[in-house]
Amino acid sequence: MSRSELVFNKVNRLLELFMIIIFALLVLDVLFQVFSRYILGTSFTWTEEFARFSLIWMTILGAAYLNGKREHLSMDFLYQKFSDTNKRKASILIEVLVFLFALIIMVIGGLNLVYTTLHLEQLSGTLRIPLGYVYAIMPFSGFLIMCFSIYHISNIYKNKINN
Amino acid sequence: KKKDGTKVLYLGHTLPQTHPVHKGILEFQKALETKSNGTLKVKIFPDAQLGSEREVLELLQIGSVAATKVSAATLSNFVPEYHILGIPYLFRDKNHQFEVLEGDIGKSILEKGSKFWLRGLCYYDAGSRSFYTSNKAIRTPDDLKGLKIRVMNNQMAINMVNSMGGSATPLAYGELYTAIQQGVVDGAENNPPSFVSSNHYEISKYYTLDQHSSVPDVLLIGTKYWDKLSDEEKIWVQEAADESSQAQKKFWNDSVEESMKIAQEAGVEIIIPEKSLFAEKSKSVVEEFVKEFPEMANIVNQIKK
Amino acid sequence: MSIEFISIIVLFASFFTLLLLKVPVAYSIGISTTLSLLLNIDNMPGITTIAQRMTTGIDSFALLAIPFFILAGEIMKSGGIANRLINFAKSLVSSLPGGLAYVNVLASMLFGAISGSALAAASAIGSIMTDRMEEEGYPRTLSASVNITASTTGLLIPPSNILIVYALASGGTASVAALFIAGYLPGILLGFAIMGYVAFIAISKGYARGKRATLFEVWTFFRKAFFSLLLLVIVVGGIVAGIFTATEASVIAVLYAAILSLVYGDMKVKDFSGVLLSSAKTTAVVMFLICTSMAMSWLFSFEGIPEMISSFLLEQLNNKFAIFLAINLILLIIGTFMDMTPAVLIFTPIFLPVVTTLGMDPVHFGIVIVLNLCIGICTPPVGTLLFVGSGVAKVSVTQVIRPLLPFLAIMVIVLMLISYIPEISMFLPNLFGLK
Ligand code: NA
Ligand code: NA
Repeated sequence: MSRSELVFNKVNRLLELFMIIIFALLVLDVLFQVFSRYILGTSFTWTEEFARFSLIWMTILGAAYLNGKREHLSMDFLYQKFSDTNKRKASILIEVLVFLFALIIMVIGGLNLVYTTLHLEQLSGTLRIPLGYVYAIMPFSGFLIMCFSIYHISNIYKNKINN
Repeated sequence: KKKDGTKVLYLGHTLPQTHPVHKGILEFQKALETKSNGTLKVKIFPDAQLGSEREVLELLQIGSVAATKVSAATLSNFVPEYHILGIPYLFRDKNHQFEVLEGDIGKSILEKGSKFWLRGLCYYDAGSRSFYTSNKAIRTPDDLKGLKIRVMNNQMAINMVNSMGGSATPLAYGELYTAIQQGVVDGAENNPPSFVSSNHYEISKYYTLDQHSSVPDVLLIGTKYWDKLSDEEKIWVQEAADESSQAQKKFWNDSVEESMKIAQEAGVEIIIPEKSLFAEKSKSVVEEFVKEFPEMANIVNQIKK
Repeated sequence: MSIEFISIIVLFASFFTLLLLKVPVAYSIGISTTLSLLLNIDNMPGITTIAQRMTTGIDSFALLAIPFFILAGEIMKSGGIANRLINFAKSLVSSLPGGLAYVNVLASMLFGAISGSALAAASAIGSIMTDRMEEEGYPRTLSASVNITASTTGLLIPPSNILIVYALASGGTASVAALFIAGYLPGILLGFAIMGYVAFIAISKGYARGKRATLFEVWTFFRKAFFSLLLLVIVVGGIVAGIFTATEASVIAVLYAAILSLVYGDMKVKDFSGVLLSSAKTTAVVMFLICTSMAMSWLFSFEGIPEMISSFLLEQLNNKFAIFLAINLILLIIGTFMDMTPAVLIFTPIFLPVVTTLGMDPVHFGIVIVLNLCIGICTPPVGTLLFVGSGVAKVSVTQVIRPLLPFLAIMVIVLMLISYIPEISMFLPNLFGLK
């Protein structure tokens, strides 16, 4: 196994772990909210915000993970009819487009969003945490997606991916 | 945003087009187009088409939307000074409220927003918020005991309901109709026009006019857009805002009158409680607030005196 | 040409090109939105706005029901629930002519209803039923057709994630609770229509009927399936009776399914991390689509696209029936090549203003658009349910198409009934006063 493959696998395992933890926390948080409302008769104001922010993190981190595994939903009925060389070209083009989207929207746009909200000290409604921290998952995942795209492109060149 | 020399000011808000504040914004649009001889146009996106209040405020900061109208409650998460306007029983009555808002204190709060790239233009009357309940009448603060009251996801609103003895339940506004109907919450609190336009009056038996808070709406322009205007255009925008603010008060009063009539005709019992009992209970909220923001204590005292 | 018109062309042309090139759907939506928005707004505010819409677009407590129902469905998929439901269904309907085919319809409906996932229903029920049906002489392709189409009823009968997605796309004009209640009758109607066609085949081909179950047997199998079926009562009953909101109901469903599968011994505690991971992956697929779709629907509002399409349709076809028909046809075509979630997210903001202008209830339209796109997921070239259903039946997609066609025709007929008779969808929500 090459070094890049080792790193790739390690990053994937870490992402899996994060997603499992966030999802488990999400379930516990909302269960706790229901429990406190119906059994304890009080509601804690932070549970809803925590759940919403966890969902954002799980989704956007999950999107990066799916890029690593190439498991995003896509439509291949035309692609199926391509010749092998055209499939390779298309695969590279797809990775380049995904790379550019991650760079321009998620990293540059996301960083500007994080910078704006942190600079202007916007706080969330009840947890009172800076919203910039919530948005930070955007450039972070965008960076991961860029790395995954480069990894996939190098593999296509090495002919390791033949679909 | 330039097409053939005219500038278009994109304005997004979350209210329906029948709302009296939307009518105020239409006055702003009309006044600005007249003053600028049609060179400054306003394109209004009602019904949260461009996002929630918080999201559109961010878009002003980002620079893709020029202007918006939000509640001062939402704004306080961006510009802390607006917290002051959410304090329960801050104003003695409507005259007192607008004396303060249109005076030096109100203007200085509007200006505080520039530091956060959100320049306040004027206030709109959003009346006073009161409790409404589906089954149990609130006549004194004691009746609030054990009642789940939906509030905005805002610390001061939560503290206020809890201090009065209720159980504050922050819930998304969109889920509220079903939540009241199904008994997930016992009631909520809002001003008369919203009570009616949300159709909540259909499923509420009681409306208790305790008028616990009078949080105004605020018309804002992003400094990213403002800074690109010429001095003359800035004057037009400010004048148009001030004129619309005056016109809007009448729309508001008409709408309150009409809303109360609709609610009463639908069989909602209107309860006029002893307000001072509620005010007394909520004093702890002011104390907590002053503890959290000691630098604003001065302004609160100035308003209250 | 006006800049608005150019932006629309850029948006749709780039979107469909990217889609055909196998660019992931979520990215196709995101990239085409970027290209179109940058024609209207300066670069930095433009890209930052898209980043903001992608995050705030999913910042909603109501959306949490989606990962939770996915997780509950995933927990039940790994359990023995499928077998218990099949046995129960068998005790009820297997004595009819072509008995096993009804068992397949009913079991697919029940599993789809409980898990909220047509794919889960097709794979869990289809894999067991095709073998049993083959033993009694049914062609595997027929079993697959029955299983595929009957599984779609689970998307109409609550709980249903696609209805939650629609509630979001409708901008809150239709509540999840109302949509859930509205889905019952159309879902059951579709199930009965499929059974009706099965009866026609069974009688004309002379398929065997099973032994009539005694009341005691029915009772025994009902008892075994009872706790699985109870989930439906807890979730939907809880929502309608006002005990909890849809999101709270979804997390209760997770807890209930977890306890049930532990008690039945279908799962062990250590299995949960795997289930969490696979549900998190499914969630990310759906939710990331929602992220970029929310950016696109913001662009729609910003450029006034829904109003433009709306006024075009209203002017060109100034007749309510023709417009409903046109919208249904467009959606049927879109459904052949586009998956359900992105189609609901993209086309709801465009068509909803048109139909509400014509007096259609947003809840009613939700049922129509979902049923319409249910047909789409059963058709080539892109039909996830078709692929999964024929996969578990171990038959090729091309083999299934012929026997599937009459079933699709039945679905289209039901779609027309549901489009033009609002009462089928609106009777229950009106009865409970939900909107
Ligand atoms: Na279902
Ligand atoms: Na299809």
